[in-house]
Amino acid sequence: MIPIDELKKYEILAELDPAELKFLSAMAEATQAREGEVLIQAGLPARTLYILQEGDLMVAFPDGRAITLHKPGGVVGWSALVSPAGYTASVTCLTDCTFVTFSGSELLRLVQRNVAMGTKIMRNISKVLSRRLPFLQEKDRQRLRKGR
Amino acid sequence: MGGFSAISAGNGWLIAAMGISVVFFGLASLAFIITYFPRAIRWWNDHAKSPKYTVQLLRSLFSQRNRKATISADTREGHESGELDDVEEALRLITAHMKEPFKLPRLIEVAEQRGLARVHSKINRLLVKGTMVGGADGLFRWATPNDRKEGVNSETVSK
Repeated sequence: MIPIDELKKYEILAELDPAELKFLSAMAEATQAREGEVLIQAGLPARTLYILQEGDLMVAFPDGRAITLHKPGGVVGWSALVSPAGYTASVTCLTDCTFVTFSGSELLRLVQRNVAMGTKIMRNISKVLSRRLPFLQEKDRQRLRKGR
Repeated sequence: MGGFSAISAGNGWLIAAMGISVVFFGLASLAFIITYFPRAIRWWNDHAKSPKYTVQLLRSLFSQRNRKATISADTREGHESGELDDVEEALRLITAHMKEPFKLPRLIEVAEQRGLARVHSKINRLLVKGTMVGGADGLFRWATPNDRKEGVNSETVSK
């Protein structure tokens, strides 16, 4: 469980009201990973959504291109919200990291039950992705559309 | 005549001492060349791009030495700064082969193969410092003075 005050600091959860955050608070867990650890492997089934609390990450796409995330609130593993799906990129910790994590299946169930909340989360995830997508090649975009 | 007296008679001791000296100085020279080889290559690469680089390089080397001397050698900060300079140099050599812009995961992979320790955190420090920058195309390169003036992609770098 993660406190509501902590959750509402993050961009993808910023628009949620206290009642919605309460649901998420009960589902959220804290996770740590060491420098150099591969948190997510591209192609593997997407089961967890990660929000960066502290640390630095590299998101590497299959064609070798990458972005790095250094700010708290960075989201990785969004494919967990597209079922059934595999991760589209590998994520490696550049430094020791801490995360707030959500089980993809639980979050998906919650989002499907509460459409208003789901819309807000998905809209915020779209904002995050739109900042990252410009450099992806068409084949990656197609894969993303298919949820892979 | 045989044994030590034969060696002495044939100037064997002198020849042996000279032989040892030649080998010693040969190996010392080789070590010196190997130590400075990366810098020489870097200088050569950059010099080809800009003739004024020689002066700049000498100035920067001199000021770097001065700066390093002023930082207490046994402080952690000073140690890490020097260590980061060495890593930067090693990474620049690797990227010189890869050509710029380069793929960051590939750079990490090659650097690890070459035995660089804690590559991830060191590259991260170079990114945060703005020495290495990520482009909107997902490829990375070494920063130029213009990058420092204009700033960089906010998601890709900077805390």
